[in-house]
Amino acid sequence: MSMVKSPTGVGTAARAVGATKRYGRADSAVRALDDVSVEFPSGVFTAIMGPSGSGKSTLLHCLAGLDTLTSGQVFIGDTDVSSLSDGDLTLLRRNRLGFIFQTYNLVPTLTAEENIVLPLRLGGRKADHEWLAQVVSAVGLADRLHHTPAELSGGQQQRVAAARALITRPEIVFADEPTGALDSRSSAELLRFLRHAVDAYGQTIVMVTHDAVAASYADRVLFLRDGQVVSEMTEPTADRILDAMKGLGE
Amino acid sequence: MFTLTLKGLLARKVRLFLTAISVMLGVAFVSGTLVLTDTVNAAFDQLYAGLTKGTDVTVRAKSAFTDTSTLGSPKPFDTKVVDQVRKVDGVAAAEGSLTGYALMLDKSGKPIQPGGAPTLGAGYQIDRKLAGGFTLRQGRGPQTPTEVVIDAATAKKQGFVPGDTIKVMFATGGQRPFTVVGIAGFGEADNLAGATLATFQMSTAQQLLGRVGQFDTIDVRGESGVKPDELRARIARVLPADMEAVTSTTVASEASKSVGEALKIFTAIFLGFAAVSLLVGSFIIWNTFSILVTQRSREHALLRAIGAGRRQILGSVLVEAVVVGLVASGLGLGVGLLVASGLRGLLSVIGMELPNTTLQLHARTVVAAVAVGVGITLVAALAPAWKATRIPPIAALRDAATPAKGVSRWRLVLGGLLFVGGVAGLVRAMSVDAQVAAAGVGALATFFGLTMLAPVVVRPLVRVLGAPIAGSVTGGMGRLNAARSPRRTASTATALVIGLALVVGITVVASSIKASVGDVVDRANKADLILKSASQFAPGFPSGVADKLRKLPEVGAVSQLRFGAAQIGGMTDYIAGVDPATVDRMANLGVASGSVAALGHDGVLVNTDVAKAKGLRVGSPFTVKFAQTGDQKLRVAGTFTDKTLVGSSYLISLDTYNANFSERLDIAVLVGARKGVTTEQVKQAAKVALTEYPNVSVQDSAELKKTQNDSVNQLLGMVYVMLLLAVVIALLGVVNTLALSVLERTRELGLLRAVGMTRRQVRSAVRWEAVLIAAVGAVLGLCLGLAFGAAFSRALADIGIVTVAVPIVQPVVCAIIAALAGVVAAILPARRAAKVDILRAVVAE
Ligand SMILES: Nc1ncnc2c1ncn2[C@@H]1O[C@H](COP(=O)(O)OP(=O)(O)OP(=O)(O)O)[C@@H](O)[C@H]1O
Ligand SMILES: [Mg+2]
Repeated sequence: MSMVKSPTGVGTAARAVGATKRYGRADSAVRALDDVSVEFPSGVFTAIMGPSGSGKSTLLHCLAGLDTLTSGQVFIGDTDVSSLSDGDLTLLRRNRLGFIFQTYNLVPTLTAEENIVLPLRLGGRKADHEWLAQVVSAVGLADRLHHTPAELSGGQQQRVAAARALITRPEIVFADEPTGALDSRSSAELLRFLRHAVDAYGQTIVMVTHDAVAASYADRVLFLRDGQVVSEMTEPTADRILDAMKGLGE
Repeated sequence: MFTLTLKGLLARKVRLFLTAISVMLGVAFVSGTLVLTDTVNAAFDQLYAGLTKGTDVTVRAKSAFTDTSTLGSPKPFDTKVVDQVRKVDGVAAAEGSLTGYALMLDKSGKPIQPGGAPTLGAGYQIDRKLAGGFTLRQGRGPQTPTEVVIDAATAKKQGFVPGDTIKVMFATGGQRPFTVVGIAGFGEADNLAGATLATFQMSTAQQLLGRVGQFDTIDVRGESGVKPDELRARIARVLPADMEAVTSTTVASEASKSVGEALKIFTAIFLGFAAVSLLVGSFIIWNTFSILVTQRSREHALLRAIGAGRRQILGSVLVEAVVVGLVASGLGLGVGLLVASGLRGLLSVIGMELPNTTLQLHARTVVAAVAVGVGITLVAALAPAWKATRIPPIAALRDAATPAKGVSRWRLVLGGLLFVGGVAGLVRAMSVDAQVAAAGVGALATFFGLTMLAPVVVRPLVRVLGAPIAGSVTGGMGRLNAARSPRRTASTATALVIGLALVVGITVVASSIKASVGDVVDRANKADLILKSASQFAPGFPSGVADKLRKLPEVGAVSQLRFGAAQIGGMTDYIAGVDPATVDRMANLGVASGSVAALGHDGVLVNTDVAKAKGLRVGSPFTVKFAQTGDQKLRVAGTFTDKTLVGSSYLISLDTYNANFSERLDIAVLVGARKGVTTEQVKQAAKVALTEYPNVSVQDSAELKKTQNDSVNQLLGMVYVMLLLAVVIALLGVVNTLALSVLERTRELGLLRAVGMTRRQVRSAVRWEAVLIAAVGAVLGLCLGLAFGAAFSRALADIGIVTVAVPIVQPVVCAIIAALAGVVAAILPARRAAKVDILRAVVAE
C-alpha cells in the first residue's frame, strides 16, 4: 500500500481510495487492483506505467466510470463515481471527462469535425467556435476536418480523438496507450499536443503507457505492479523511467 | 466442416429462428392451403359417396355442356320416363326426384340465407334406400301438401322442432306456411355443404317448384347381382334421345369435381398470398446470408488459408441454408395446420360453410412444405454462398470486413433497362384500355429493375427522407447508418416494397372500382329503384316481386333482369335476359345499331366490342349453346355499347331466356316511377308492398352505390389482412438486418457510450435507422403501388372498371404507418444496442 501526496498542492481532479478490483471467484480470484489509493492533482500530466497485467487499464477504467470497483471508492472532483447510476455516469463522461483509446477512437460514419464535437452534440450543445478552432489548429488538422476516419492516417485519427477529448474542456482526460499503435513521429506529435494542453490550458491528463519516451512527456509517473502503486517519479526522463522499470522486474 | 457449421448455428439460435420465420410464414400458407383443400375434398367425397349410397344409376336430361355453371340444374322431363325405366330388366326400384329454389324464413320472418350455398326445395322420396345418406333424424316424411321435412342444421340453428310452422318462399313468389313434420340429416352431416333443404311431398314439390308432371332426375336401384354399369347400359337403351343414364359413381365424382372447381379460386388466391410472402421471405434470406457472409469473410478467409476448398466454403454456407430451410418447413407445417383451420373460419365468414372433418395432412403436403421451405431458402442463399467462395485467403490478414463494393456496371445497365421498359409498359397500360399483359409484365419489370437499382437509389433517398431529423444527433446518426450499407438497406427495404406496393396497388384498384360503380350507376341507370337480393349470395329472388310491383299505382315501369350461363363459340359466358319493352327505359344501353324491340324470340343484342371482334352485324346468324336446350340458332338484333349495368355482353329477351333456362329467379328488377311520383314515394310504396319479401332490398341509386362500395370494402379488408402478413414478414427482415448490424457495430456503440451517449440516445439512433430503412421501403412501395394500381385499374376495364381513381390520402397513410412500424422492428435491436458493454469497445482485441 502506498499513499502518494499531490506534488503541487493544488486541487485534486480525481482520486481513488482503497480501490480494489477482483476478477473471478474468491478462490481463484485475480486482484487487478489491490487497495489502491492515489490522487491526480489538477493541471498535472500523470503517466501510469507498469508491466503487462499490472492493472493500469483497470485503474484507468475504474477512475473513468467505465468499470466498477469490487470495493473502495473513486472520485472525480468531489463526485463519488461508484455511487452514480448508468445515466449519471454517462453524463459524467460526456461533460466532465475526455477519452483517448489505443485504437478505434472514431465513429466511422462521421467526419473528423463531427467526431470532435460529438460529445457536445450528444449533450445538445453547440461548439464554441473559437475553442474548436484553437483545438483543431493545435492538433494540426484544420485541412482534414471534412474527411472520414477511413481517409485519415492512424496518427491523424489519434489527434482527432485528442481534439475530441478536449472539446468539452473536461476536468480530466484519460488516455490508455494512445500512442500504442503509432510510429515515433506520430507519437511525438500527439504527445506534444497533450503536453501543450496541460501547459497552455491547465488540462489534467492521466495516460497509461508502455513507452518510457511517452511517459517522459508527463509531469509525474506512477508505477504499478500486481495491482498496487509501487512507486512514483516527478520530472521524469526516459532514462530514469527505464531504470525504474527495470527495478520493477520488467 | 459440417459439424463446424452446425455448432455455429446452434450458438445462434435466435438468429436461426428469426431467419427461418421469414420463410416459415410462406410455408405455413402453402401447407395450410393444401391441408384445407384436402380436408374439404375429403369431406365432400365422403358426403357425396354417402348421398348416392343407395342409388346405382341416375337418369337425367343430357346437358349440352357441363361445367360448374350448369351443374345441378338439368332440364326437367316428363314423369312418364319413370315408368319406362321401371320396366327395364334388373331394376329393383326407380323414383323421380326434383330440386329447386325454396327459401325458408326464420321465426322472425328473416330469410335463412346461407352464404354461398344454395337454398333448396325438393320432393321427398318414398323409397328410403334410394335416398341414401339423406335420413330422417326426427319425425316422419311429409304426407300432406302442407307438411315439410327440413335439414337438421337449419332446425338446430333456428330452433325448429316437429310441429312448428315454417314459412317458405318459392321462385314464383309469395310466402307459404308449412308444418315441420320431420328433421333430416345427411349421414353424419347436418346439411349438404352448407345448403338449406326443405322437402315436400313429391306432387307438392312439383307444383311449388314449377315442374308439374316433371322430374329432374330418376334414381334407380338395381336388383342384387346386376352390375351398375350393366344396369346403366340397359336403361340407356329405353331412354329418349335427349336423356342419359349415368352410374352413381359418375354423379359423385362430378359433384366432387365441381366442389374442387369452386375451391380452386380460393386455393389460387391463398397460394397467391403464399407466393407473395415467400418472395418477401426470400429477400430476407438473401439479405441475411449476404450479411452473414460479409461478417464471416475473415473466418472464411482463414479457413481457406488453412486449406479449405471453395467447395467446402460453399457447402458450409449451404448447409446452414438447408438447416434454416428445414426449421422453416417444420415450423411452417405446424403453423400451416393452424392456418388451415383459420382459413376455414375465414371461408365460413364469407359464406362458404364447409363440412366438418378432421384436418387432412397428406404426404404431398409435407413434401411440398419441405420442398418450398428448403428450396426457397437454398435458392435465396445461393448467391451469397457463391460470394463467400470468392473471398481470397489473403483477406484473413486484412483488417475488418471488406467495405461494401459499389454496384456493378452490368447490374446498373440491366436494372436500368428493366426499369425503363417496365415503366413504359405501365404507361402503356395506363393510357390504353384493357392492356393486362402490359400492366403485368410492366409491373414485374419495374419491380425487378428497381430491385437492381435500389442500392444506388438508397443513399440519396435516405439523405432526403432523413433530412428533417438530421438536426438531432441520434436522427443524424440513424440517417448515416441507414445509408451506410446501401445494399443491405436496399434489400431489407425491398421486402417491404413488395408488401406495400401490393397494398397500395390494390387500394387504388379498389377505389377505381368504387368510383366506377358510382359512374356506372350515374351513367347507365335511368331507373328510380333497383331491386336486388338482400344477400349477395342468393341466386336471385322470386318473380312474384315484379308482379307485385306492376300492380302499384306509383309504379310506371318494371323491368326484370335474369342471368344464366351459356356457351358462345365454345366458351362459357353469362347471358342476360331482359324485358325488351322496358329495359331501354330503365337503363342506358347505348344501342348502336338495331333495337331492343327487335329482340323477339330469337334475337341477341351484342356488345359493340364483341361484335367488332367477331365481325357481327344486324341480321348475322348467332349460335348460342344452352346447357338444357343445346345449340340455338339466334340472330343479331343489334349492338349496344354500355354493358356495365346489365353486366353481360349478350342480351336476349326474357322469352328466349325462359325457353332455354328452367331457372325463374330475377337477378335484379329496375323500377321507374309513374310520372309525377317522386323516387322517395315510389320507394316507400315498394317497401310496403314487399314486406313479405325480406330477401329483396329496395334501393335508389345512391343507396345502391353505397352497398356496392360496402361490399368492395369488405373484400378489401380481407385482402389487407392477407397482405399484412407480407408486411409483417418484411418488418421481421428489418429486425434481422438491424440485429446483425448492431452486432457488427459493437465496438462503435461502446465508443459512443464511452464518450457520453446515453442508452436512450443509442436506442433512439437505432430506431431512426429502422424508421428510415422502413421509410425507404414505404416510399418506393408507395410509388410502385400507385403506378401498379393505376395501370391495373385501366387494364381491368373489361371487368367494369370505367374510371381510374387514384386515392392519395389512404396510400400515404399506409406508407407512413409502414415507416413508423420500423419503430416496432427496432425494439429488440435497439435494446441490444443499448446494452453493449462499453469496456468491450475500449479494450482493443
Ligand atoms: N475482464 C476480465 N476478466 C478477468 N480478468 C481480467 C479482466 N480484465 C483484466 N483482467 C486481469 O486483470 C489484470 C489487470 O489487467 P489490466 O488490463 O488492467 O492490465 P494492464 O496493466 O492494462 O496490462 P497491459 O499492459 O497488458 O494492457 C490482469 O491480470 C488481467 O488478466
Ligand atoms: Mg492495458
